Amino acid sequence: MKRLLIGSVACAMLSFLGLALPPQAHAENTIYNTSLPSIVRVAIRENNSSGQPDPRGRIIWVQTVPFEQYCEDVLPNEWMPSWHPESLRAGAMAIKMFAWYHHLHPVSIDGFTFDVDNTVNFQTYRSWSRQTETNQAVESLRGYSYVKPNGEIIELNYRAGYREDPNWQYRNAQKMAQWGSQYWAERGRTYIQILQFYYAERALRRVR
Amino acid sequence: MKSWLPSGKTLGVCLTAIALALWSLPNTPDPNSTSDLHTGSSISSGAIPTMAVPVEGPAQPNQSPPQNQTPSRPQPPSNAVNPAAPKAKPGDPTEPTNKFSPYVPIPKSKLRIRVIDGRTERPIEGAEVVLIETEQRFKTGPDGFTQWMDAPVLRDPRYRPLVAELHGQLGAIAYRNGYRDSIQLGIRVHDGVRNETTIWMYRLGPGDRRIEPVLYQVPYHRLWLIELADRFRSKSQPGEGPERP
Repeated sequence: MKRLLIGSVACAMLSFLGLALPPQAHAENTIYNTSLPSIVRVAIRENNSSGQPDPRGRIIWVQTVPFEQYCEDVLPNEWMPSWHPESLRAGAMAIKMFAWYHHLHPVSIDGFTFDVDNTVNFQTYRSWSRQTETNQAVESLRGYSYVKPNGEIIELNYRAGYREDPNWQYRNAQKMAQWGSQYWAERGRTYIQILQFYYAERALRRVR
Repeated sequence: MKSWLPSGKTLGVCLTAIALALWSLPNTPDPNSTSDLHTGSSISSGAIPTMAVPVEGPAQPNQSPPQNQTPSRPQPPSNAVNPAAPKAKPGDPTEPTNKFSPYVPIPKSKLRIRVIDGRTERPIEGAEVVLIETEQRFKTGPDGFTQWMDAPVLRDPRYRPLVAELHGQLGAIAYRNGYRDSIQLGIRVHDGVRNETTIWMYRLGPGDRRIEPVLYQVPYHRLWLIELADRFRSKSQPGEGPERP
């Protein structure tokens, strides 16, 4: 009798938990169930007293920028336009996937909802700063993405790294070194090889 | 009782040492040694030139007076011309290959400037753009662009021996009737690529009283700023550590 009572109580608790916490259908954002963003919402932060965007400054407004134009206006501020074209392409892919990931994961701060801001909090964005060489790198990757093998869209992070150094991966940080991309590009690596060097278990995929 | 007088053997050793020391002192300058130097032949003992011989030209005001010269190192006459003298050594500060030399060849690159309306972001035709460093003048076309111009890649010489700037910087001014003058400084100019920049101009309105130029300063590239900060970082101030996130 006692066992029956305990069993019935346990069943009631489980059914209650099941009602209170219904199973949620959680699907990862992949290139198969999302499409390439058409725009990016960029929060413009106020400048510091020297006239430079302040990463801790207030948000002034949110600018809606076409996606590819955003990538073009970020790449020359993150990579050097005079670097090797393969390094620029590796950078263009990282910038693109970073922006794509954050477009799928927007944030709200101080009443503003946005995908990224214009400072190094996300990626350095300067309107109309695009350059011919970097535009070519962005355009060459149109229709491609660098994702997990199942198509899941992940954030491709990067850091500055050190000049004239291979910048080996640090504790599997999954961060591309910008100087490292230039180092390997100068030694004949393609942008895919550079991306494979820094990001483990990722694959190049076509997007619609 | 022990005698404190040196023995004959000790005296002999001391005398030999003194003789050797006297022999190794530099000799008095040989008057013929300068002629040897001029003809490029072997240099006489004790006359070893350690600096490049000044080839020609008037004496500079900051040159050291002749009385400061070391007598054991004879110098050639100031007006002497030596065709066999080495022209420029790597240590010569005027040699462009010396990385500490301020005399560097200025590389050339290509630049074109786009002028747009700061409010509508539409191109402005007919604006006059002056490149400050070269004093070149250009007019913008219907697309707001100037033609491609030869632009020097000017890096700040203050930083060059420490951390060479990754790009040069130029300045430009845009003029257009009905608009405020726009000055843009710090335009990034990279070696070997075609560079572009955009100048915003703002239309004059009826409420404008003090009509003054608008300045826009292009920031340094963040990669160079990171290098610059790392260059002078001490071990006690690691910041975010050797591997920044």
